[in-house]
Amino acid sequence: MTTIIMIMLAVIAGATLSVQAALNGRLGGNVGVFKSAFLTFSVGALITALLIFFFEPNHAITLMDVPKWQLLGALCGVPYIVIMVIAVQHIGTALATVAVIFGQLTMSVLIDNFGWLGNEAITLSNSRIGALVCLAIALYFIHSSSKAEVKEADS
Amino acid sequence: MQILLIFIVVLGGMGLSVEAGLLGPLGNQVGELWATLSIFGVGAALTFLLMLFFSPRNSASFFAQPPLLLIGGVLGPIYVIVLTVVTPVIGVAMTMIGILAGQVFKSLIIDHFGLFGTTERKIDLKRIIALAFIVLALFFMTKG
Repeated sequence: MTTIIMIMLAVIAGATLSVQAALNGRLGGNVGVFKSAFLTFSVGALITALLIFFFEPNHAITLMDVPKWQLLGALCGVPYIVIMVIAVQHIGTALATVAVIFGQLTMSVLIDNFGWLGNEAITLSNSRIGALVCLAIALYFIHSSSKAEVKEADS
Repeated sequence: MQILLIFIVVLGGMGLSVEAGLLGPLGNQVGELWATLSIFGVGAALTFLLMLFFSPRNSASFFAQPPLLLIGGVLGPIYVIVLTVVTPVIGVAMTMIGILAGQVFKSLIIDHFGLFGTTERKIDLKRIIALAFIVLALFFMTKG
């Protein structure tokens, strides 16, 4: 049951992310990519800080106590923004989308399988491989759909 | 050149999973919101520097934009908080597939009606098939 709720949450987060990407794409067109990325991160930091101020319970461990490598998440997220801006211009949205999802899935299966970064290990079972096959097929359809979309935009 | 770029984009995608993989355990230790702040705090600092040095010199002001375009920043924390809460329970891979499902679902529903200022685009059969396979993948994932 918890699993279902957690998957639902992830699906909602994905939809939110997608809306955000659409808005940021338009904003980036008006003010520049870095400026729109800065807005996203700074407003995000402000809102999170407000939430912490009023809602976060005390913890025995703070961000200052954990090993520094655990704080490198943003160093993985920010390059992604820069890479996508450059890549989309050269290889197109369709290919870039598929390449990102491919990288995401490969790395997430690796992290799960070996329990990297302090995560619980989830072994790559047969049903997980079945899931990856389904995703490869899905990727194919996403690619051909994005291709059609680019053509429409061109005409 | 193309191959190199594709490879770099794949690395970028891997970065997103590493980010999710870091967030889960971090959130368990210091709290979900603090983990989220670590992303946005460091991210804001980095993108400020990028903006300062690499933005076009006379780019338009935020205050000249319609407010709707600026709510991307409000939506960002939702995504990161969910990552932090969800990954320790269902794993990084299932989280990423769920997020992918949400993205494709969004492109079907929201684009169909042109909500949130996106361009209206009718439901696309290819994307429905893609979503069906992603849901099937989620089903396989829950099997273990």
